[in-house]
Amino acid sequence: MISKPHVDWFAISPELVLLGVAALALFVAVLVPRWLRKALAAFLCAGGFLGAFVAAGILYGRSAHGHPVVADAIVRDRFGALGMLIVAGCGLLAVFISYREPVRNGHDAEYYALLAAAGAGMAFFVTANNLMTIFLSLEWFSICLYVLCAIDVDLVGSLEAGLKYLVVGSFGSAVLLFGSALVYGATGKLGLDRIGATVSAQGLSRDVLLLAGLAMIITGLGFKSSSAPFHMWTPDVYEGSPTPVTAFMSAATKTVALVVALRVLVSAFPQEAHLWTVAVAAIACASLAIGNLAALVQRNVKRILAYSSVSHAGFMLIAVAAHNQSGARALLYYLVPYSAMSLGAFAVVAARERELGRAVTLDNLAGMGWERPLLGVAMFTFMLGFAGFPLTGGFFGKFLVFSAAVDRGWTWLVIVGVAATAVSLYYYLGVVRALYMRTGAELQLAPAGGAPPREALLQTAVLGCLAVTVASFFAVQPLVDLAKHAGRALPL
Amino acid sequence: MTLGILGPEVSWYLAVAAFLFATGALGVLLRRSPLIVLLSLEIMLNGANLALIAFARHQGNGAGQIFALAVMAVAASEVVVGLGLIVAISRRNLDLDVDKLRTLRG
Repeated sequence: MISKPHVDWFAISPELVLLGVAALALFVAVLVPRWLRKALAAFLCAGGFLGAFVAAGILYGRSAHGHPVVADAIVRDRFGALGMLIVAGCGLLAVFISYREPVRNGHDAEYYALLAAAGAGMAFFVTANNLMTIFLSLEWFSICLYVLCAIDVDLVGSLEAGLKYLVVGSFGSAVLLFGSALVYGATGKLGLDRIGATVSAQGLSRDVLLLAGLAMIITGLGFKSSSAPFHMWTPDVYEGSPTPVTAFMSAATKTVALVVALRVLVSAFPQEAHLWTVAVAAIACASLAIGNLAALVQRNVKRILAYSSVSHAGFMLIAVAAHNQSGARALLYYLVPYSAMSLGAFAVVAARERELGRAVTLDNLAGMGWERPLLGVAMFTFMLGFAGFPLTGGFFGKFLVFSAAVDRGWTWLVIVGVAATAVSLYYYLGVVRALYMRTGAELQLAPAGGAPPREALLQTAVLGCLAVTVASFFAVQPLVDLAKHAGRALPL
Repeated sequence: MTLGILGPEVSWYLAVAAFLFATGALGVLLRRSPLIVLLSLEIMLNGANLALIAFARHQGNGAGQIFALAVMAVAASEVVVGLGLIVAISRRNLDLDVDKLRTLRG
């Protein structure tokens, strides 16, 4: 007789909503007349993300005391719930951004099914509490993303991006898996807190197997969060994938990879903190250096944003390396404006791409600020936010990250971060210059026949991202409180 | 060792697992055909599986074996997606050589 674990259905309700919606969208793909498919599937998917958002919000409210549920496979706490909230918000905006994206082979309903399934996997990933659920949910959302990257088989580069992401992503997952196997071999446990407990009980903190496993787990998560030196897939995949998919990936995948990295490191490896904090700080510095320097020479706006996302992985890893409560708070706070700015910036690129019908570069971005005032102002704000200017959440994000590093006593990380910010100004302001400060001769105004009509849904999404970016500056205290309560769930 | 096991020490299993994993990793990094690259990814996952199963016996609990079973299912779905992509690429008459997939200049 096998004893069945008690299942806390409420703790997994966001995943269940999204999975249900994914299944429904697949039925829509075959049972509903062709003209209705796209609208219905998109409506279902948006409803699913909205439902997941509400469920995660209630879960946040009712999980003040974190505890493992479902045979300790997942943990129900505010830390995971806040991660779910960000993922669900990203998904909802991604549906709005995707709606008018021309998918040439008509696989619209499948697209939304995959998007919802990827969201479900991410929501599961942020609550995963043992090495097995971490690996399974990582693959769950990764496989969905591989297909999403390649979904537009007629788009040049889309298939290539899908295959590249599949190969590099699976390589990273395999490294993570082997690392998990080594940690399991050293401790005999898969649960994160059990690993930590066994290590301290048996004095294993110098064990070779354990340390090798730890290094491989950090590497595997480094691939997913696209931090240097594991970032080489990022610019290619971001450039080749359909832009709405890129927007979702850049915001949501980075969020969950960093959140899970923090959870794994602090709950399973507190004894080895003196080692992994240094390793994570080194990865952060590498990401800041490589991301910012490589972005300087790019002309393609999607590639600039890809390298910018590498450098932001560096900023947020500083918060992970700090290994204290203020680091957890800084990471969780920063993820909110970062996700909004990233989604919004790629949404603006998507809008320009649809107008021009080709890849957006700094050259053909010229004059967009005057042609499309809302998108122009939004992009301007996102770029200043990425660079950490006041009046955007990016300012407090960087401020909190640096103060976490100071709390830790690592002032040198702050100096690296500030230097990286100074370098990044060049390319962020380069985008702003392209938007507004070109002479008349350089302007590439709308092609003959006039500009295509405004896209209400995409503009709504951009407006939403803009609102979050600015509101996270003015409402900094409530957001920091949310992040603080979530961070308390971790054993720091 | 918690269980009386007949057969080699766990370190031998680990050596074979690490060898398989390294073989797979080299294959991913060095081979050009996407099919062989997918095959090498599978070898990496199976190396990890062997380590999990050996450690499960060594530690005397079943968690590692369950994990390995789940990994097999994941590996299969990964290959399905990978092969689907390769078929789509060959339908588009692109060269099946990862070195020539450079529309996106990495």
